Amino acid sequence: MTTNSRAQITLNYALIIACSLIAIYPLVGVVLASLYPSGTSSSPSGFALPPTFAWHNYVAAWDQGKFAASFTTSIIVAAVMVPASVVLSVVAGYAFATMHFRGSKVIFYLFILGLIIPTEATIVPLFYDVRALHLLDTYWALILLEVSGELAFGVFWMRAAFLSAPPSLLEAARIDGASSWQTMRKVMVPFARPAILTLAVLTFADSWNEFFLALVFTVSHTTAPAGLASFSGRYTTNIPLVSAGAVIVAVPILIVFIIFQREFMRGMLTGAVKG
Amino acid sequence: MARVVYDGVVKRFGEVAALRDFSLDIPDGEFMVFVGPSGSGKTTALRLIAGLETVTSGEIRVGEQVVNRLAPRDRDIAMVFQDYALYPQMTVFQNLAFSLKMRKMPRQEIERHVQHAADMLDIGKLLQRKPRELSGGQRQRVALGRALVREPKVFLMDEPLSNLDAKLRVQTRTEIKHLQEEIATTTIYVTHDQVEAMTMGDRVAVMNDGVLEQVGDTRTVYEHPANVFVAGFIGSPAMSFATVGATMRGDQLELRQGALSLTVASTQLPADGVPAEVVVGVRPEHAHLWSEGEGLVGPVSGRAEYVEMLGRETLIGVLCGDQQRFSVLADADTPVRPGHEVRFGIDPGRLYLFDPLTEQALTVL
Repeated sequence: MTTNSRAQITLNYALIIACSLIAIYPLVGVVLASLYPSGTSSSPSGFALPPTFAWHNYVAAWDQGKFAASFTTSIIVAAVMVPASVVLSVVAGYAFATMHFRGSKVIFYLFILGLIIPTEATIVPLFYDVRALHLLDTYWALILLEVSGELAFGVFWMRAAFLSAPPSLLEAARIDGASSWQTMRKVMVPFARPAILTLAVLTFADSWNEFFLALVFTVSHTTAPAGLASFSGRYTTNIPLVSAGAVIVAVPILIVFIIFQREFMRGMLTGAVKG
Repeated sequence: MARVVYDGVVKRFGEVAALRDFSLDIPDGEFMVFVGPSGSGKTTALRLIAGLETVTSGEIRVGEQVVNRLAPRDRDIAMVFQDYALYPQMTVFQNLAFSLKMRKMPRQEIERHVQHAADMLDIGKLLQRKPRELSGGQRQRVALGRALVREPKVFLMDEPLSNLDAKLRVQTRTEIKHLQEEIATTTIYVTHDQVEAMTMGDRVAVMNDGVLEQVGDTRTVYEHPANVFVAGFIGSPAMSFATVGATMRGDQLELRQGALSLTVASTQLPADGVPAEVVVGVRPEHAHLWSEGEGLVGPVSGRAEYVEMLGRETLIGVLCGDQQRFSVLADADTPVRPGHEVRFGIDPGRLYLFDPLTEQALTVL
């Protein structure tokens, strides 16, 4: 379509703005709430501006939530887990997309099963397994469980990304003398770079947001979101401080997303539109 | 450089036979064209040499070596793909250098080879560009360069011109032909375009439904098609066919079907004669509007169904009787219009007869 009527353009913008407002409402709400004067009686709501901007809530939240320690844990876990998860997803996704081997379909569906079964359903046997391995309350418990959890989506995602490459690209590399490993590293990985970076961003977000596993498997190595739990009292909750803590926890993901947003969009659109 | 031999090659995809008992000997340095419609097995035959598909039975030899079980990279062949398959993240230089790098060729050697190939194809100025920054024609040259730089035993080309516009296609096919003559490397070229096949190949292998229908130099395939399929596929505009009754009258063969009646001198009939019914084939360029004294076989009468102006000449579709249709090439300024009564004759020695059951060629009269 080369020309759009004015009404059509207006309608498009109206829809986009409406959707954006719906998406942004809770986020703005949390930021505004974090600036209300601290206290359990404080009751911020929606877009209402606070009477005074209580910036010191952030300092208080940082101290009270022991974010220095929980951030360290989250960073260590993410620093190991994201590369490990992405590399394994790339290698396995490449195999499923390009190689025909006995049982490949069954194995792939086993991976997909990981997308369907919630972690909560397996948490009890998992706890005993981790305890048997003497990994309770260690970084490794979080790293290994998160990597295995991410692989289901990662393999599915990377297989789709590699399948979107023209088959002739693989064949050209084979004829040019590249081994499977060289074809993956020199031809297919560069081709799938946007998808790989997108996977890394999504995996980082998942790792950073990890709450449940940290709660079950660690005591001394709390992750950042698990640190937020310390703001909840038994009967009352200090909403401005929780909100400030939530903003603090969300900032790293925001930064990562801003850095990779261009690649992220390209990755999300891979195969969706003609290049 | 090497000879390529297919020896009774069969390729099946599940229940479907893509190639049936395919045997062909391609001498060293020949430009062989596989031509046929979609699904004829020509690309499969090419991919089998490349090692991109495995042979179900039979044998393929490159040089003296049986390559059935060799990996593509061990076959020393280069291939130009229909969609070029250039590595999108690499520059033109890196694309050309990739196969040499995989062979661990020293850096200086690589540069020399790439430069040589780039000079041959006049793409020296594009070496630092990425494929997305190139036009279709330039990409095509880079794809050729990537094959050329290898100095392989055999070149395989899978419809490499099909993504180019008509003008560039004509220009490039001449260039490829010259290039092949220069480097004299055995080349197998796949196309569905019979004009491309006729203009480029030393020999042409016409394929249909997984079967090699005929192989020969372009003139033989055009002038002496082995069967109805080859006769109809090679030549543009295509040959017209009609099934007619055949009766011997002395040394004359009378061909008759409804209003259509032709008598030809039967000088070259097969020893066992002709069946009572035959398929006659006439190429449009061998059919002319009737004019006494030109020695044409005929006349054949009919009604002009359509008149297509082709520029240099005009193609007239003639309906004889109820269902016999012939195409006749006439001068560009012919006064014939659709609906006009038309009489035409056929060049002597250009009337093709085929067996209606086996569809094999019987003779040319």
